[in-house]
Amino acid sequence: MNIKLSRDHILKPLQTVSSVVERRQSSPILSNLLMTLKGEQMTLTGTDLEVEMIARLAVTADEDGEITLPARKFLDICKTLPDGAEISLSVSGDKVTLKSGRSRFTLSTLPATEFPNLEPVEEPFEFSIPQKSLKRLIEKTQFSMAQQDVRYYLNGLMLELQDGLLLAVATDGHRLAMSQTAAEIKVPERRQIIVPRKGVQELARLIEDSDSPVRIQIGKNHIRVELPDISFTSKLIDGKFPDYQQVIPPSTEKVIACDRATLHQAFTRTSVLSNEKYRGMRLSLDTNMVKATVHNPEQEEAEEELEVNYNGDQFEIGFNVSYLLDALSAIDSNDVHVYLTDANHSCLIQGVGQDNDKYVVMPMRL
Amino acid sequence: MIIHIDMDAFYASVEERERPELVGQPVVVGGSSESRSVVSAANYKAREFGIHSAMPMSRAVRLCPGLVRLPVRMDLYAAVSEQIQAVFGRYTPQIEPLALDEAFLDVRASEQLYGSAEVIARRIKDEILQELQLVASVGVAPNKFLAKLASDIDKPDGFVVIRADQVQAFLDPLPVSRLWGVGKAAHQVFERLGVRTIGEVRHLPPALMTDYFGKHGAQLLELAHGRDRRAVETERQAKSVSNETTFAVDIHEREILQSWLLQLTEQVGWRLRQAGLKGRTVHLKIRFADFRLITRSITLEHPSQTTDVLWQAVRTLLADCHLPQAVRLIGMGVSQLTDSETVQTTQGDLFAAADPKKEKIDAVADAINARFGKAMLHRASSDKHN
Repeated sequence: MNIKLSRDHILKPLQTVSSVVERRQSSPILSNLLMTLKGEQMTLTGTDLEVEMIARLAVTADEDGEITLPARKFLDICKTLPDGAEISLSVSGDKVTLKSGRSRFTLSTLPATEFPNLEPVEEPFEFSIPQKSLKRLIEKTQFSMAQQDVRYYLNGLMLELQDGLLLAVATDGHRLAMSQTAAEIKVPERRQIIVPRKGVQELARLIEDSDSPVRIQIGKNHIRVELPDISFTSKLIDGKFPDYQQVIPPSTEKVIACDRATLHQAFTRTSVLSNEKYRGMRLSLDTNMVKATVHNPEQEEAEEELEVNYNGDQFEIGFNVSYLLDALSAIDSNDVHVYLTDANHSCLIQGVGQDNDKYVVMPMRL
Repeated sequence: MIIHIDMDAFYASVEERERPELVGQPVVVGGSSESRSVVSAANYKAREFGIHSAMPMSRAVRLCPGLVRLPVRMDLYAAVSEQIQAVFGRYTPQIEPLALDEAFLDVRASEQLYGSAEVIARRIKDEILQELQLVASVGVAPNKFLAKLASDIDKPDGFVVIRADQVQAFLDPLPVSRLWGVGKAAHQVFERLGVRTIGEVRHLPPALMTDYFGKHGAQLLELAHGRDRRAVETERQAKSVSNETTFAVDIHEREILQSWLLQLTEQVGWRLRQAGLKGRTVHLKIRFADFRLITRSITLEHPSQTTDVLWQAVRTLLADCHLPQAVRLIGMGVSQLTDSETVQTTQGDLFAAADPKKEKIDAVADAINARFGKAMLHRASSDKHN
C-alpha cells in the first residue's frame, strides 16, 4: 500500500487524533493510531477506551487497507518536517516507511484487528447546535468540574436536554457553574447526561467559535459529536448528578452590585498573600463598602477596600478566593451582582444582563 | 521493656464468651455457608479440624460437619477491643494498637510505679481474663521484634519473657522464617546458602547479606542479633493508621476481597475516631500470590474519620484495580493525618446535607459500643458479603 499526502494537510487532523492518545498506556495498541484507507479517503482513529477521535482527510492511495502505527512518533515526524513537505507512506509487512525529500523513517506497526472499537452509539437521540453556542456553554462551566473526586459523577460536565433548551452544569461540591442556551431540541422529558472531564476538554478544543452547526448524538452510554471531517465519541459517566436546582440560592435582598473588572482586580491582588492551601479570604460588608482581607501562615496580610452598591446588613463571610476569581473570570458583562444570605450560606454571582449563567460558591469558615 | 499482647482466637473467643453454650464446640466466625464466604476466625477446637481463617466456608463445613458458624459482629469486637485497651491504659499511655486484637506497649516509664515489665504483663493478662473472660498471649522483651516473637512462640495462653541476656539463646535455634520480613523469596535465598536458623544468619558476613538482600540485608542481620530500633508509636504520633490481613489461602473473588476490605475500613475508621484523628489520603494495598505488591491511593477533598467516606474511597480504588491473579494480602490505610479539632478552615459543601448524618451514624455506633460493649450495629453490606 502506497500513500501520498502533504504534510500541511495531515498535520491538523493528526494532532487532533493524537491528543486523545495518552502518553502512558497500559497496552501498546493504545499508543498507536489506526489508519484506514478507502478510495481516496484516509481515516485516522485514536482512543484511550474512554474517548475516541476520528479524523478524515483526502489522500492519494493505490489500494485500500488498514494498519496501526505509533501516534506520538508519527506526529512528531510530521510536525518537524518543513512546511509544504510532500510525504509518501508505504506499508510492507509489519513496517511503515515514511519518506519526504531526503528523510526516511521506518516505523513499527501493529495489526489493525487489535485496535479496540468503541461500542456503537445505541438508539441515539440527535440534535444540532451552532458550534459557538456549545463552546460558550462549556467555557462558562467547565472550570467547576471536580477532579478525581470520590463522587465520580462530579468528575464531568452535566448536560441537560429540555424542550428548546440545552443546559450545562459543573460542580466540585464547593462551587457550581451553570449555563444554558436555546437549542432546537424536542424531548418528551428532560434528560441528563454526564460527560467525563477528558471528553469535555477534548470537545472544547475541537469546536470553534463559529455559526456552523455541530451534530450531536446521545446514546445510552455515549455521546458523539460530528463535525465535517471529525467525529468524536466519549463514554458517559454512569451516575446520578446531584439536584443542582436545589443548591442555587434565590436572588436575595443582600446584593453587592459593582464593576466586574474592579472586583476581579482587587481580589486578584489580595489573593497574592492568601494561604496557598486554603486560599481563604474574609469579606466584611457594610453600607456601600466591601473590605477584603487575607492572612497567611507567614503572618503577612492584605486588605482592599472597595466602593460598591450594597444596602444589606453589616456582616462578615469567608470564601476561597480562587472560586470567586474563577466565577468573575467566566462572566463577561461589565457589571456583576453578588447575592448573599449569611455567613453559612452560598452566594450567587451573576453578570448583569446574563441571566443564562449562574455561579454559586459555598463560603468557608475562617 | 516492650510488651506485645495478642488475643487468642479473638473474634471466636468473644462469641464463645457471649454464648457460653458454645464452649468446647468448634466455632468459626464468617458468613453463611450458602453464599460464597470465608472463615474470618476459628477457635482452637475448630483449628483441630484443620480449619483456619480465609478458608472458604464450604470447605470448613466439609472438614467439620458439626461446625458452629456465626456472623461477623465487627462492632462488638471493636467494643471489646476498647475494653482491652482500657486495661492497657491503666499501666501506660504508650500503646500502639496493630489490630483490634493486638498491641505493643512500651512500659519502660511505668516500671518504677508498677514493678517490672514482667509483673505488669502478668497483671494485664490476669485482668483481661478476670474482667473480660478472654485469654491473651503475652510476650515481654527488650524490643518490638522480640516481644512479638515471644507472644507467638507459646500461643495460645502464652506468657514468655525474654530478658536481655537470653536473647541470643532464644533466637539462635529459631528458623529464618521467624525473622521479620523473610517471606517466600528470602527464604529460598537462605535455603540456597544452606542457612536454616537465625543463629546461622547471625554469623553471615554483612557484605554477603547486602549482596543477597540489598538494603534489607543489614536490617535482617540486625534482627538476627535481636536488635530492633523501632519505637512504640501511639496513634497520636502515627503518620498513618492502617490495617491489613494476610490470607491463609490466596483469594480470587472480588466480592470476598471487598468484604474483608470493609472490615478493615471499619477498624481503621474506629481507630481514627478513638485517637481523634482525621486522614486525607486513603491507601489500598494488595499483595498478589507471586508477592508482587501494588498500592493505590486517593486524596480526599477534606480530612475524614467517617467510615462511610473512607469506604467509598477505598472501594473505588479496589474497583479500579486490575486483579490478574489471586490475592495474598489486602490492606487499607489513611495518611496525612490531622487532629480532628485543629482543622480550622472548613470549606462548605453544597451537597453536605448527607455527610453529618454519616458522622452521626459512626458516633452513635461508637457510643453504644463503648457503653454497652455488645452492640450489634454494623454495616449491612458487611453482612451481605460475609
